Amino acid sequence: MTEPLLPAWSEPFAGEGSGLLRSVRVDAIGREWAWGGSTGAGVTVAIIDSGLERQHQALHGRVVESVAVEMLDGEPKVVPDDAGDLFGHGTACGGIILGLAPDVELVSVRVLGADLRGKGAAFLAGLEWAVERGVQVANLSLSSKSAALFPAFHEVVDQAYFRGTALVSAANNVTGASYPSLFASVFSVAAHAVADPWRIYYNPAPPVEFGAWGVDVPIAWKDGGSTVATGNSFAAPHIAGLVALIVSKHPGLSPFELKAVLAAVADNPRS
Amino acid sequence: MASDHDELTAAFHLLREAARRSAVARQLQGDVEQALLRSIVEATATLFDAEAASIAIFEREPDRLEFRVAAGAQGAGAVGLSVPPSQGIVGYVFSTGQALALSDVLADPRFDRRTAERTGYVPRSIAAVPLIDGQHPVGVLQVLDKRGSATFSLRDMELLGAFAAQAAAAINATRVQRDTSRLLREVFRELGDVELDEAAVESLVSAATADLDRDEEAPFWRLVDQVSQLNGMTDRELTLVSDILEVVGRHATRPGRRG
Repeated sequence: MTEPLLPAWSEPFAGEGSGLLRSVRVDAIGREWAWGGSTGAGVTVAIIDSGLERQHQALHGRVVESVAVEMLDGEPKVVPDDAGDLFGHGTACGGIILGLAPDVELVSVRVLGADLRGKGAAFLAGLEWAVERGVQVANLSLSSKSAALFPAFHEVVDQAYFRGTALVSAANNVTGASYPSLFASVFSVAAHAVADPWRIYYNPAPPVEFGAWGVDVPIAWKDGGSTVATGNSFAAPHIAGLVALIVSKHPGLSPFELKAVLAAVADNPRS
Repeated sequence: MASDHDELTAAFHLLREAARRSAVARQLQGDVEQALLRSIVEATATLFDAEAASIAIFEREPDRLEFRVAAGAQGAGAVGLSVPPSQGIVGYVFSTGQALALSDVLADPRFDRRTAERTGYVPRSIAAVPLIDGQHPVGVLQVLDKRGSATFSLRDMELLGAFAAQAAAAINATRVQRDTSRLLREVFRELGDVELDEAAVESLVSAATADLDRDEEAPFWRLVDQVSQLNGMTDRELTLVSDILEVVGRHATRPGRRG
């Protein structure tokens, strides 16, 4: 008897899932398994933000590439960048990630600037570039509310998911749609107030799935400075850092597997 | 031919109606947006017990965030100042739509200091949230230095977000007034076969809106004038006026009313 004809998407599930054998069960996962001994080595994290201050001591020489999106004749173009960090925010995020995963390599994708003013198209182009470059993790502190860009964001976020790139995005507290922070495959993060960079929560009621430290966080800031900050955009890099640790120790885990690992080791109360 | 004429007449009436609304809005209050925004920053400064609260609105040519209203003991110096949207906390919050707060800002020796010094007040802490009108950021609401605490909590940020939503709604509501004038300008430009310069367009718009149907609708405009006088009233007085109008309104809609 011949094999029944299956649609391509169902093929992996044929033959009692023999091709889907997993060596790890969720209830067996603990933090030691997840990231014990990991430093983030071998993982590249893109910071899609205001740039990175390469010389800042909080980034201790881990910035391997800096690009910026420029608008040329209304079209976004990715070019090498030496403008550093226009606001300090990108550097803050990079510092938080390195605080958890000191050996990751950082790539700066600057999508903010005098002529960009948070243009959705520039943000989209920067995100697309990061996914194409093959970074394993990207930290996104901004979102677009432009309905016109919904399909384009959806496409690049799907592309990231299929390639195994974890997109970690700060949830936007302003009501209404927000792309891509509220897309299902994105790691959407909001702040909790417990002063512990390792404390995370999993929220089984999306769209915001993870909580991390985001209140009174000591951060690196512009011109070699430092300050203390509050906001979801300081919670997201904590999750990005933990994801980098897991990916470093377990290369090849897909975004949904990474989410499952985070959920398994989260600090939620257990019954 | 007749239908062409009808279409023109209909378009003309629409235009007059738009102009009428614009004129009413202008008449009712010199700048209702300013008044609403001021009341929002005053409430914010009071509720947070903050040294200052202010709202910056995005303006073009050149692109800038202009501080329109401020409240609190240290707020006054900010009004009228502009900052580029590519700089500082306010610029970042506007550009990204992400609310954030910084405390201990003086730890960074160069942090926003120049702008802060121009206001005559350098804060220790600052919280800023974006004003989002539909899909677009239109400005930023910021609070400086809560007296009771060195930092801002998650609840503070949420509250601030609620005030920001009100401010964005106020900006949206008064946009009708601004947009109508802009619309009229564009219509006149379209209608004119000849090239009109800015001043000529402006005078046409003014002519269309200034004495609109004053004679035909004298009682209506008298009422608009009277309502515009209510600006300085206390809440109690306004409630009284509102009650009176409600009674009149009920009387007006009563069946069998004498025409």
